[in-house]
Amino acid sequence: MTAGLPQSRGIAGFVRRSVLTVLGALVGLLFLAPLLWAVSSALRPGAEVFRYVNPLQWRTFFPEHPTLENFVRLADTPLGPAIVNSLIVSAVTVAVGLMICAMAAFALSAIEFRGQGVVFTIVILSLLIPFDAIAIPLANLFRDANLQNTFAGLILPGLGNGLAIFLLRQFFLAVPHELVDAGRVDGLGWWGIFYRIYLPLSKPALIGAGLTLFLFQWHAFVWPLLIGSDADHTLGPVALANFTGRFSVDYGLLFAGAVVLIVIPLAIILSLQRYFIQSVSTSGLK
Amino acid sequence: MLVLVRLLPAGYAVFSGFFHTSLLTGQESWVGLQNYADLLASERFWNSVRVTLLFSLIINPFQVFIAFALAVLFTQRMHVSALWRSLVLLPVAAPGAVSTIVWGVIYRPDGLANSFLGVLGIPPQPYLISTSQALMSIIILMSWAGVGYWMMFLIAGINDIPQELHEAAALDGASAWRRFWRITLPLVRRPLAFVLVADTITNFLVFAPVQVLTQGGPQGSTNLMMFEIYERAYKLGDLNTANAEVVILIAITLVIVAVQFRMLGNAE
Repeated sequence: MTAGLPQSRGIAGFVRRSVLTVLGALVGLLFLAPLLWAVSSALRPGAEVFRYVNPLQWRTFFPEHPTLENFVRLADTPLGPAIVNSLIVSAVTVAVGLMICAMAAFALSAIEFRGQGVVFTIVILSLLIPFDAIAIPLANLFRDANLQNTFAGLILPGLGNGLAIFLLRQFFLAVPHELVDAGRVDGLGWWGIFYRIYLPLSKPALIGAGLTLFLFQWHAFVWPLLIGSDADHTLGPVALANFTGRFSVDYGLLFAGAVVLIVIPLAIILSLQRYFIQSVSTSGLK
Repeated sequence: MLVLVRLLPAGYAVFSGFFHTSLLTGQESWVGLQNYADLLASERFWNSVRVTLLFSLIINPFQVFIAFALAVLFTQRMHVSALWRSLVLLPVAAPGAVSTIVWGVIYRPDGLANSFLGVLGIPPQPYLISTSQALMSIIILMSWAGVGYWMMFLIAGINDIPQELHEAAALDGASAWRRFWRITLPLVRRPLAFVLVADTITNFLVFAPVQVLTQGGPQGSTNLMMFEIYERAYKLGDLNTANAEVVILIAITLVIVAVQFRMLGNAE
């Protein structure tokens, strides 16, 4: 922000601000347009999707008679169960993965053990090799282990997340040592210290790490394409991609599926936003 | 866990790259560097490397420039700045494959892209089915999906610059333009460097748009390395050579990242 500068005051400042606002709004709306079109197309009967596209008009982005029919019909297509699969995979990943990552971070920050440096180096190294790059050789290994078309196969790679471990470790390092000592005096073991002291103190970091784990799975495409190929283990984005490959595509349904897959992570991010703001405002109290 | 899912497959890829599986007997035999030699002799492979490098050379500067321009714009004083900024950030929440599919419809002959061009008086374009436009079309859709994310790092960098510097320079009569070149740009070099490196790695691994929209075509013009590896492993069924290709992809990625770090380090 360039607040308080001389030229941002007075009439010249007002003009400048208004011009910038128009520019900012224009850019914002340009980015919004594809999504708005997807939403409005999802809300009209499949046959009408391309009716008002050309020439561009207000009806392109706002359906005259919005209907939820496409969303209701989703349930009868392979897309419905695929979205449910995505929800299951993501939920299990967050629940189990958060526990594993938090314990790993706890071990790396609170406990001193031999080989700690080596383990931490491995965590950092694994951050450097992007998952998608090794997805194909890993899929071969999973196939040999008969993990293809199982939920375990879909979930496993998402459980250990280097970024989540790193995030939690940074947060755990800031937990005062006095609290650990006090816990010891009260007779807590390592598990008690972890469960009773570290976890309750680290809510914002846990939410951040949980979101990282969730988005990793929800946004995944290469891995579910390689591992979840039968109908019972197809995830949302893969099902949507299969849908476009058909001979005649029902665009109303296609957009309805796309909107659901976009709105779910968006709603989760927006509902968690206040925790991040809270974490910033309370960290000043220490 | 991490060892299991990241390092083990990387090691396995290196190892497997030295073998050949016989189609007749299904037995693996040691072939040394033969798979790599086959790759280096393959026109298909070289085309894919060329396309990937061309793609990187365009998309990375393009995205970093746009993300930086947006960051500068949205750190200016304007009305409801937070609203416009979050609109730019909105596509980041969408899974990449889903954005790809939506844009696949936008690029249809009767889709939204042509009706936008129509407003500007430009005739309809072929986009994904043209050898000269397909790669650019993918670059535009990936940028729509990605620049908001990189913008956030740069906005944080710009907001970290002490306000007093701008005020002092303004009192000395420095214009906004001059302050941008002398204060903002030098002081966001670190976040800029981070964004450039991270963006480059991300763009090396672009897969969904190629797999869903173009299948590497038309005429190999969008055959990025990730898709080439996938095709070699599953369409051509040559897992060993595909693994050799994975090794090359990771090696190129690491080399480019190292070079970028070097260059940025020297600049300081």
